[in-house]
Amino acid sequence: MPDFLALAVQQSINGVYLGCLYVMVALGLTLIYGVLNQINFAHADFVTVGAFAAFFAATRLATKALGLADTTGYLLSIVVAFGVGAILGLIINAAVFAPLRERGDELRPLIATIGVSVLLENGQLALFGPIPYQFDSPFARETIRIGRIFFTEQSVVVVLVAAASIAALYAFLRLTFLGKALRAVSQDRETAGLMGINPGLLIGLTIVISSALAGMAGALLGPVLVLTPFAGASVVVKAFAIVIIGGFGNLEGTILAGILVGVVEAFTVQYLGSGIIDLVVFSLLLVMLAIKPTGLIAEKKEENV
Amino acid sequence: MIVLALLPLALQTPYWRGILILCAMNVLLALSLNLVLGYAGQLNLGQSAFFAIGAYVSTILIKSHGWNFWLAAAVAVVAAGVLGLALAAFAVRLRGHYLAIASLGFAVITYQVLVNWERVTEGVRGIYGILPPPGFGNQVALFYLVGGIALAVYVLLDNVVRSPIGETLRAIREDEVSAASLGINAARWKAFAFGLGAAIAGLAGCFYPGFVGTLVPEAFNIVESFSMMAMVIVGGTGTMIGPVIGAVVLTFLPELLRGVGELRLLVYGLALTLVVLFMPGGIVQAWSALWRKRS
Repeated sequence: MPDFLALAVQQSINGVYLGCLYVMVALGLTLIYGVLNQINFAHADFVTVGAFAAFFAATRLATKALGLADTTGYLLSIVVAFGVGAILGLIINAAVFAPLRERGDELRPLIATIGVSVLLENGQLALFGPIPYQFDSPFARETIRIGRIFFTEQSVVVVLVAAASIAALYAFLRLTFLGKALRAVSQDRETAGLMGINPGLLIGLTIVISSALAGMAGALLGPVLVLTPFAGASVVVKAFAIVIIGGFGNLEGTILAGILVGVVEAFTVQYLGSGIIDLVVFSLLLVMLAIKPTGLIAEKKEENV
Repeated sequence: MIVLALLPLALQTPYWRGILILCAMNVLLALSLNLVLGYAGQLNLGQSAFFAIGAYVSTILIKSHGWNFWLAAAVAVVAAGVLGLALAAFAVRLRGHYLAIASLGFAVITYQVLVNWERVTEGVRGIYGILPPPGFGNQVALFYLVGGIALAVYVLLDNVVRSPIGETLRAIREDEVSAASLGINAARWKAFAFGLGAAIAGLAGCFYPGFVGTLVPEAFNIVESFSMMAMVIVGGTGTMIGPVIGAVVLTFLPELLRGVGELRLLVYGLALTLVVLFMPGGIVQAWSALWRKRS
């Protein structure tokens, strides 16, 4: 294999791995937007909380208290982060989204989630301090080598978990009755309500699912990021870009855009240096907004006067 | 005004006088954001970018090119205003959430340029030894200067929002499509609000570096946009006095509650969440409601 080709393949693999991490973060955002027409700015901090939960689950609970092997411990920590995310979702739904939903204003809940985000970040800062935690995944130590291409077992774990989550989400939305009801609510909340669906319940469920995904994303991102109370914020801004590039509320678009941004990032690091990644991603976002604000895969919406 | 003039006499220590200057700057920033967020109803999360442009353009012109402070400040204000127009170009096409994210992206890009364009901005190393505006070297003088400018801007904006322009902006905020059907050129007036708002934030930025003496990109992180928003919302959006109250309360409250590390942002987050949940009109509305109940 010629050098440039090997390099291109290597960077594409790195890009898909990164992309899967971003998709995990962006899925929850797009899901909430699709069903509620809301942006959750605290999503980043759910990722961070998930990462901290996974860190403590892996380093304290699993290996020390339960005496598990470190690989099983890490896999268990992903599950713990999923659960912690779900609980956070329940809380934010009860505290912010549900009380504000009746008032029908679209900007207030957004501003409230900014408040929650700043609160969670600085609350964690008070709890965990500003010094980064060293969260090592046992899978990151093992490298797989095929020809001249290298990747870690961790990237395999990430891609598998992301693929499984996407598959489970699709199965839930397409195959179960609850998923069907959820899609109905996202299309038209009032009519769905008239058909005997409880929109409040399903909206709550959406927020819980999306937060659980965010928590899990935190467990996957923990070993990659510098684990501080602001870890999630560094990723989520990119996730917002992904959600917009893919088209708000559009699952396929989000997955596509997530992988795209991951690959663009991998090649940017290779050819232009790592300092300007955010610059490239956000220029991409602004260009996208200027040319095609509806995203890669357009959704049709009518304007109400 | 008399209160304003007497404040530095009441607070004698340099620390509290510093907080006073910071408070005047925050009032300016809250006023600038309120024009866009409160009156024109455009959710702009990129206001920290204009604050940054004002600070960096003026400082670089003074330090590297030997310009006079006032000339540099004038250019910096214009530069911020022009960038505001650039963001307005997006605001014309985008609404609500899309605009929120686009403006956030705008702030992220500005921040990244400040970090990466080291040849000009010194990157994360920062620029040191920045002097206050000539003639305003002591804290009291600097407070009178920034406070006076904040007062002037308040009067200016108060006149703007009470003029037909204010009516136009409110019409766009309430219902852009209906406003357009009445012959209002929404694009032009949004551009006006963004441009003027950005220029005022840039003006605040001109005084910031001279006050702290150093300039690092970290001071213009996105979270600064959030704190400006907290001031506007906590005080009361779409009123003139609201953002002023919000800025004063949110500048002094964390100082009064000092003791637990980086408490400032925790207070901001808590205040923002609670106000949105329990008093959507901010302090101003809650106060007038209380007043009505009594009489």
